[in-house]
Amino acid sequence: MTSLDGHASDPRKNIFARPSTLRQMWISRADYLYVLPAIVVMLIVIAFPIYYTIELSFFKTPPGLQLRDKIFIGGDNYTAILSSDVFWRVTLNTVIWTLASTLIAFVLGYGCALALHRDFAGRAVLRAILIIPWVISAVAASYIWKWIYHSDFGIIGAMLVQFGFLDRQPNFIDNVHTVLPSLIVVNIWREFPFAMIMIMAGLQTVPDQLLRAARVDGASAWQRFWHVTFPHLRSVSTVTILLLAVANFNSFIIPWIMTGGGPSNASHIWITHIYELAFGRQRWGVAAAYSVLLFLILMVLGYFYVRALSGNDKREQGV
Amino acid sequence: MSSTTEITAPRSRKGVDGWRWAGRIFLAIMLLYTAVPMIWMLLTSIKSGFAAMQFPPQWWPSEPTMASYQKLLDPQNSVGQDFLRFFWNSLFVSTVTTILAVVVAVPAAYAFSRFRFPGNRFLFFAVLLRNMFPAVIFLVPLFILMRWLGLVNTHGSLILTYLTFGLPLAIWLLKGFYDNIPIQLEQAARIDGATRFQAFLLIVTPLSVPGIIATAIYSFIGAWNEYIYAATFLTKNEQLTLPVGIQRFFSENTTDFPGLMAASFMMSVPVVVLFLVLQKYFVRALTEGAVKH
Repeated sequence: MTSLDGHASDPRKNIFARPSTLRQMWISRADYLYVLPAIVVMLIVIAFPIYYTIELSFFKTPPGLQLRDKIFIGGDNYTAILSSDVFWRVTLNTVIWTLASTLIAFVLGYGCALALHRDFAGRAVLRAILIIPWVISAVAASYIWKWIYHSDFGIIGAMLVQFGFLDRQPNFIDNVHTVLPSLIVVNIWREFPFAMIMIMAGLQTVPDQLLRAARVDGASAWQRFWHVTFPHLRSVSTVTILLLAVANFNSFIIPWIMTGGGPSNASHIWITHIYELAFGRQRWGVAAAYSVLLFLILMVLGYFYVRALSGNDKREQGV
Repeated sequence: MSSTTEITAPRSRKGVDGWRWAGRIFLAIMLLYTAVPMIWMLLTSIKSGFAAMQFPPQWWPSEPTMASYQKLLDPQNSVGQDFLRFFWNSLFVSTVTTILAVVVAVPAAYAFSRFRFPGNRFLFFAVLLRNMFPAVIFLVPLFILMRWLGLVNTHGSLILTYLTFGLPLAIWLLKGFYDNIPIQLEQAARIDGATRFQAFLLIVTPLSVPGIIATAIYSFIGAWNEYIYAATFLTKNEQLTLPVGIQRFFSENTTDFPGLMAASFMMSVPVVVLFLVLQKYFVRALTEGAVKH
C-alpha cells in the first residue's frame, strides 16, 4: 500500500536526502498527535505495571499491601517457585488446558464455518445461535455450566443415569480426574464461535473462479478443499490459532468461578494460581516472580504472534 | 458464496452429497452443544427453587413461574435493588468505555494506516502486544496505581483499565479498515484545499463508520463482561458491576439456582441483542480488516 505522505508538499523536505531520525521525527511531529492518546494510556497502564512487577519479584513482602516494609531477597522467590511441586502440576495443567482448548475450538470452529458456507434455509439463524456463547459473559457461562455439572441435580449426570449408563450422579468438577476435561468443555463452548467467525470471514476471500476452475477440472469436493480453500485460509488460521492460544493461556474466569483451582490443584492453571498467591495468600513477591516467568513465556509466544501478524501485514502491502 | 451453491445444485454427485450430509450432522451436533446449556438456563430460571432441586429433574417445568425475574426486577426488595444497581453500573461503565475507546482508537488507527513516521511499526506492535499479557499480571501494580490516583472504588478505575485492554484489537481492526479506503479520496480533498485533518474527519471518518461500529461493539462487550479488575478495584456494594455482583449474589444464596439462572440470562440479554443486531458490521470489519491476503 502506498502511503499518503502527509508532508510530501512540505518544501523543506528533500526526498533524495534521507534526513536524520531526529529530523524525521520533528518533521512528522504532527503525526504523533494522532497516536499520542493511545500511547499515553498504554504507558500509564502497561509500562508502569511491568516495571513494578519486576521490582516486586525480588522482594519478600509482608501481607496486606503495606509494601513499604518489603525486604530485598534477590532471586529467592524464583528458586522457591521452581523447586515446588505445585509449580510443575500447575504448568502441566496449563499446557493441557491451552493445547486442548485451542486445537479443539479451532477444529470445531473451522468445521462450522465450512458447513455454514453453503447457503441453506435457516443459515443466518443457525449462525447467530452458534455465536451466542462467545458473546455472553464468562461469569454467566461458568454458572450455567456449574449448574449443568451439579453433583445432585446436573442435567448431564441425570441423563446418563436415566439412560442407564451410570448408577448414580457423577461428580464432574469435584473429581481430580474429570475436572480439567470438564472445564475444557466449557471453555471450548465459549471459544469455538470465535474461530468460526474468523474462518467464515476468511472463506469470503477465497476466489470463486479458482473453485469453479477446479471443479471443471474434475476435482472432488475434498480436493477442492485441500488444494484451494485450505491453502487460502492458512494465514487466517495462523492468526486465529495464535489469538486462541494467547487467550487460553491467559484465561482465568472459568476455572476461578467454577472450581477456584480445586480439588487439590487439579484445575489450577498459571493465572488462577498467581491470583490465589497474590489475593488469597497475600504472597505478593512470589506472585510477582510468577508473573515475570509468565512474561518470559509470553515473550516467546509473542515473537510468533508478531511474526504471524506482521507476515499478514507484509502480504497485504505486497498486493 | 451464492454462486458456489448454484453450481453445486445441478451437479450433486454422490461424493458431494456425502460431504453435505456430514456437514449437516456436524452442525446439528454443534447446535445441541451450543443451545442445550442456554435452554437449560432458561428452563431453570422459570422453575421454583423446589422444582429445580428434584431428581430426576423436571425436564419441562410443571409449574412455570416468573418469580425469579420479578424478584430481580423489583426495586422494592433488596435483591432487586442490588440487581438493578449493578445493571446500571455495568451500563454506565461499558458505555463510557466504548465512547472513549472509539475516540482514542480512531485517530491512532488512522495514523498507523496512513502515516510513515519513525517508530510507526514499533508503536503498532507495542499496541498489539498489550493483548498478550493477562490481567492478573497487572492487578497488583494497577491497584497501587489506582490508589495513588485516588481512583480505587470509583468507576473511573475500571474505565481507564478497560480502555487499554480494548484498544489493541480496536486499533488493529480499524487500521485494516483504513487500509482499504482509497487514498485518492483524501488526495482529491487535499487538492481541493482541505487540510489533512479535515480530509480525515470529513472524508475518511464517514466511510469508516462500519469499522467504528465493530470497534464499539467489541469494546462494549469486553467491558460489560469483564470480571477480574472489577472484582479487585471495587469493594463497595453499591458500585459493583454485574459479573461481580452476580458472584456475590451466588455466594450468599448458594442454592437459589433459578435466581442465578435468571440473573445470568438478564446479564446476557443486552450484549447478545447488541451483537445480533450489529453482527454484520463486525463480520464485515473482520473480513475487510483483520483477514487479509
